[in-house]
Amino acid sequence: MKYLSEYRDGGLARRIVSQIRNLATRRWVLMEVCGGQTHTIVKQGLDELLGDAVEMIHGPGCPVCVTPLEQIDKALLLAARPEVIFTSFGDMLRVPGSECDLLQVRARGGAVRIVYSPLDALELAIANPDKQVVFFAVGFETTAPANAMAVWQARELGVRNFTVLVSHVTVPPAMIALLQDPDNRVQGFLAAGHVCTGMGWTEYDPLAAGFKVPIVVTGFEPVDILEGIYLAVKQLEEGRFEVENQYVRAVTRLGTVPARTVVEQVFQLVDRKWRGIGEIPASGLGLREAFADFDAERRFNLGTMVVDEPAECQAGAVLRGQLKPRQCGAFGTRCTPEHPLGAPMVSSEGACAAYHNYGRYRAVEMAVTA
Amino acid sequence: MCLGIPGRVLEVHDDRGLAMGLVDFGGVRREVCLAYIADEVQPGDYALVHVGFAISRIDEAEAKRTFEALQEMSLLDELEFLRDIAAQELEHIAARGLA
Repeated sequence: MKYLSEYRDGGLARRIVSQIRNLATRRWVLMEVCGGQTHTIVKQGLDELLGDAVEMIHGPGCPVCVTPLEQIDKALLLAARPEVIFTSFGDMLRVPGSECDLLQVRARGGAVRIVYSPLDALELAIANPDKQVVFFAVGFETTAPANAMAVWQARELGVRNFTVLVSHVTVPPAMIALLQDPDNRVQGFLAAGHVCTGMGWTEYDPLAAGFKVPIVVTGFEPVDILEGIYLAVKQLEEGRFEVENQYVRAVTRLGTVPARTVVEQVFQLVDRKWRGIGEIPASGLGLREAFADFDAERRFNLGTMVVDEPAECQAGAVLRGQLKPRQCGAFGTRCTPEHPLGAPMVSSEGACAAYHNYGRYRAVEMAVTA
Repeated sequence: MCLGIPGRVLEVHDDRGLAMGLVDFGGVRREVCLAYIADEVQPGDYALVHVGFAISRIDEAEAKRTFEALQEMSLLDELEFLRDIAAQELEHIAARGLA
């Protein structure tokens, strides 16, 4: 409650909370898919405000968290090669692989560079023709248009020393996998508004109708999230299962068509393993055959790799919404943002890091000692 | 990497066949790819930018609101990074006669 008052819309937020409480005849279980939304919910304590009306389960929408260990290990192998300049978004540098992380490879002399845009990696390749520049193409639908264009432009410009290590994932197949899980408790979704700015939300229509779940495209600010929850609860109470758009100020039904077009020309749907969840059919993007020359796995003959997760990390249960971060025995003790056992403790979009950063750990500690 | 950062488009140019532009993010400027919204964006417009790519046009009020919200929620790690590299990038842009 104390945080909400810091916002100019604090009064509005409180009114929406009481509307949700008035509306709910039972306790509904909703999942926010996006890690940015998890961050807001935990920081503002929105889930605690809604306690007996709505349970919020934190979804797998953190690209850093779901990038499979195999792909991290491949990144580490590539980054250690003397002829390679390995480029990545900054968030991936501290994600633990089987043995170490990218920062440690850099400390041992590997050329690892943080880039803001995949086009920066392409520029680096043009400026260093004697090096192989590899870009770690990770993320959801938000980064796919950028990464697709970098590959497209590399082909247009004939840049031969640029490749991408692709580990793209898409949101709707993960939602289907969660709904098909016999242990599923999710009754409605807040879809990530920012994911839909480019791709639109047409893919969600069959999902809402087929699985009888409301899906509300929602922004990431506290009032957005509360409005999204209100719309989802209203649908559930009225027995409606539709896609609704709370985030009308930034998202349209079709998204940005040129972005969708380039993504479809460069990438195709592939089966993809999600860290902590396992393989989900047609849940990832891989390069089409026409762009195979830009595939780092082919250029460097990386082959298939199967590795086991550290036994103590329960990221899978957290990412499926079956375990709250603080219920994990390693949380805050053997696993901290400084020394993470698993990816959800690394990224600011990860549920474990959000709980840790916003005092959920301390609350438990006090409860235990009291 | 998932939250878009709103910025104001200062100028638009072509770079080897790709529509690019200098974009201002609350005082930090950098080059952004405008190819996906090239038909609808002009200098002075606001856009939501994901990892260096403008993905959708937004109005000024929404841009300001979103930017403030990102700041309040300390979700602007990417902007901090941008600030770090902005100086060197501006030199690069200046060298090519764009700024």
